[in-house]
Amino acid sequence: MKRAVAAAGPLAPAALLTAIAFVLPLAWLLRLSLDRSSGGGMLVDAVTAANYLRFLGDGFYLGVLWRSTWMAALASALTLLLSYPLALFLARTRSRWRGFLAVLTIAPLLVSSVVRTFGWMVILGDQGWVNGLLRLVSLTAAPLRLMNNMLGVLIGLTEVMMPVMTLALIAGFARLDPTLEEAARSLGAPPRKVLLRVTLPLSMPGVLLGSLVTFVLSISSFVTPKLLGGGRVAVLATSIYEEALETLNWPFAAAISVVLVAVFGVALMLYERAMRRWMI
Amino acid sequence: MAGAAPPAMAADAPYLKLAGLAKRYDGGQAAVAGLDLAVARGEFVTLLGPSGCGKTTTLRMIAGLVEPSAGRIEVAGIDVTKVPAHRRNMGVVFQSYALFPHLSVARNVAFGLEMRDLPRGSIERRVTEALALVRLAELAERKPKALSGGQQQRVALARALVIEPSVLLLDEPLSNLDAKLREELRDEIRDIQRRLGITAIFVTHDQMEALTMSDRIVLMNAGRIEQVGSPAELYERPASPFVAGFIGRMNRLTAAVTASGGGRSRLDASGLSLMASRELPLGVRVTVMVRPHRIRLSARGGGAGEGNAVRARVRKLVFAGEAVQLEIDAAGLVLRVEQPTGGGGWVPGIGEEVAATWSLDDTLVFAER
Amino acid sequence: MRRRRILGPKLVLAALIALSPCLAAPSPAAEPSGDIVLMAYPGAFQDNYVKAVVEPFMKAHPGVKVTYNPGGNSAQMLGLLRAQKANPQVDVAIIDFSVSRVGNKEGIFSKLDRKDVPNLADIYDEARMPGDMGPGITFDNLVMLYGPDQVKPAPTGIKDLLDPKNKGKIGFSPAPNVIGIALQIVVAKAIGVGYKAPIDPVIAELKKIAQNVQTWQATPDNYTMIINGALALGIGWNARAQFYADKSGGKVKSIVMQEGGILDMDTINLVAGSRNPAAALAFIDYALGPEPQKRMAEAMYYGPTNKKAVLPPELMARTSSAPATLAKMIPVDWDYVASVQDQWTERWRREVIPAQ
Repeated sequence: MKRAVAAAGPLAPAALLTAIAFVLPLAWLLRLSLDRSSGGGMLVDAVTAANYLRFLGDGFYLGVLWRSTWMAALASALTLLLSYPLALFLARTRSRWRGFLAVLTIAPLLVSSVVRTFGWMVILGDQGWVNGLLRLVSLTAAPLRLMNNMLGVLIGLTEVMMPVMTLALIAGFARLDPTLEEAARSLGAPPRKVLLRVTLPLSMPGVLLGSLVTFVLSISSFVTPKLLGGGRVAVLATSIYEEALETLNWPFAAAISVVLVAVFGVALMLYERAMRRWMI
Repeated sequence: MAGAAPPAMAADAPYLKLAGLAKRYDGGQAAVAGLDLAVARGEFVTLLGPSGCGKTTTLRMIAGLVEPSAGRIEVAGIDVTKVPAHRRNMGVVFQSYALFPHLSVARNVAFGLEMRDLPRGSIERRVTEALALVRLAELAERKPKALSGGQQQRVALARALVIEPSVLLLDEPLSNLDAKLREELRDEIRDIQRRLGITAIFVTHDQMEALTMSDRIVLMNAGRIEQVGSPAELYERPASPFVAGFIGRMNRLTAAVTASGGGRSRLDASGLSLMASRELPLGVRVTVMVRPHRIRLSARGGGAGEGNAVRARVRKLVFAGEAVQLEIDAAGLVLRVEQPTGGGGWVPGIGEEVAATWSLDDTLVFAER
Repeated sequence: MRRRRILGPKLVLAALIALSPCLAAPSPAAEPSGDIVLMAYPGAFQDNYVKAVVEPFMKAHPGVKVTYNPGGNSAQMLGLLRAQKANPQVDVAIIDFSVSRVGNKEGIFSKLDRKDVPNLADIYDEARMPGDMGPGITFDNLVMLYGPDQVKPAPTGIKDLLDPKNKGKIGFSPAPNVIGIALQIVVAKAIGVGYKAPIDPVIAELKKIAQNVQTWQATPDNYTMIINGALALGIGWNARAQFYADKSGGKVKSIVMQEGGILDMDTINLVAGSRNPAAALAFIDYALGPEPQKRMAEAMYYGPTNKKAVLPPELMARTSSAPATLAKMIPVDWDYVASVQDQWTERWRREVIPAQ
């Protein structure tokens, strides 16, 4: 007993920090989600499940939940697909440019996602580069709608998430012994099979970590769906923003936030389960 | 063991042939500089040398894991230099075992067979056989992590053998194991290789492994071959001071030729007068080497026959179980001497004056370059 | 040694506590003094408001120091004020009237007394809040924005939003933003029903407009997007439209729609529990005076709410306070709108925004 207390001693500051940084705000959010809001955003003290019942009993909000989930899942999958070869190259190349290339890959992290999203608006807009090019070669009469819809959001999210995913994958590859791939080759595996049977399964911890992080960041991302969705892509994060800052219905915003935290929880659980399967 | 005769190979066309094989990493010195070697079918050849001598690079070039800068690799008369690793049919056993951690022992062994698209039944049968060969049948369903180092290396061996490779390539397979296990597995590998009659290339820096396992040893240094020969040849008739020094322990003296004739030379090593069993040009500087356990100590000296004899004083004496290791001072030159324990040799005390003698055959002389 | 270290700070603290009543004691004269914190919008509003109002006020009342705290948008400021309700750190807040109404009801703001704020007497009725709560200090009104190069002839009202030739060139903020709510009121008038009537036909009309909308989230805003040609038509506010019209050399223009406009205003509010109400009230009274309001109109085209503010006629005509503009404003029962706003918003989310 005493020893347990003594052992906890050095952890106390960390525990306190966790409590202040995570537990308290979450507790406050939970409490707020049980309050009521009367017309025009007035906050009323109460203990009611009304906000949750409204969310769960309304096809519109369930649709928002569903859309958020598949948007984040699809963005993660696209990000993984594009980042995997890039990360594999960066992890394996012996080029003297390797450091430079790695920095180049991760550099977008230094630029705010707002600015990067603006960049995509320049590229994807009706007067943007892509449509300009299509017009130039007379492929399209009317501009293609590449943004202000879900397509634009997915393109933007994928790009925003790629550095994060690439970092997670590179970390995963670093723990993969290249000798294992040589062993596979010596046993008769052509490059494709080496990738499928050895590299991919052994990089699963990195894949899973990267996917978890991009999923969580995507589903909670606000800027990209807001700016590239043209207001048409209603997801949990944009709904929270609207309820908190436009309709001023804080209790409902809190309830949606709690739902979002619950989605994180489920994602984390799936991650843990998959990790147990793949951790060797 | 060390004296085991190599299989007759001169008559056969070589099974594995390396011709002018070289590897130069960009900008750097050559890791392997023009290697020629012919290996007979069923032969066990060891590439021995200090780290950085190019032995592992040579093995990896044979496996197809490193692309040679120059030269040719032939297997059974076919040039495989440009054949990618996965089509070379080489069985490789790595120092780090390189077992796939996500697959069971059986699936590890089955990997190469699955790549060859063999029918499931045939794969299962051959995996079972291969695991029985390395005495691991009962661990088939375990993951590699649950196995000891020795067991893991035996799985790696089974995995390499089950594909019936043209050549078995072993890259320091024993160096991650503890001494006792190393000896056990050494015999096991050699035994299996003999039974299957498979051609094997074995890379090691450990002279003991090389001496005990090999039909022939290729001693390498700085990317080149120093000497190729049977273990006994390398031990008894080293071609260079490097070979002599690398294999077994050696006393090393420098001397000058003072007289020559009648198939003998007289040498002067800092005042010690020694005899060599061949004629050398007068005045030439030579390196004289003699193994510590080939030196006999006695109280008075003399003894029968031709040889070398010096008077010396015992400086140091260490009991090391199988032998007593001594340092004796002969006119300012320090010689290391080993005397067997248990009545096999006379052991003086520290400070005692002794006579040290050794035969002309044991007096290795190399002209300095 | 050790004793002193522990005693030292305590002594200082005790001395401070003992002295503090003297420091905070009001000076015998009526002249207010001390520090107050003003919370209002960041950005261009802050730059202009500090120059036009805050600095002249401090010159007139050298004993008072006003700290401008940029609090974000109105809802964010309300959030901050809610969080500080027990121990307010802000004395005066300038926020949109649709949000200050909520604050008034929650008891975050205090009622103003005409004795303390003599300028209240000169404020337009339209700028008065129920119960003498913080009144409007600037008028603004809903306008239609257009790019004169793209929309010819110039638009006149709701019918231009429905015109197929403007498809994919329209952008404005939907409900729950005030612009969407206000547009719904204008559309109701355009189709000849009151905004208090059942809204099905209004929603049907809005869905037709929605099919022409390029984005509901113009970035950075629809004024800029019209200037750079990405949009041709939008709904916005007069003051910013005038500001951008000057700045862009007329690449964005605005009209009051023929169906009418909606009056919007920023209100100035005394935070309940202010620690220096005397100085706060002095500032509020000053801000409502004709001169500071005139300076804000000159800087940003905000319409004065003080009847006595005299602007040059051509400037007056460009603000919401122009009699011709005020006359076109549709009277709105904001208490009613607050009560149905959530229902309206839900219809927008489900039917209007997704309409293709």
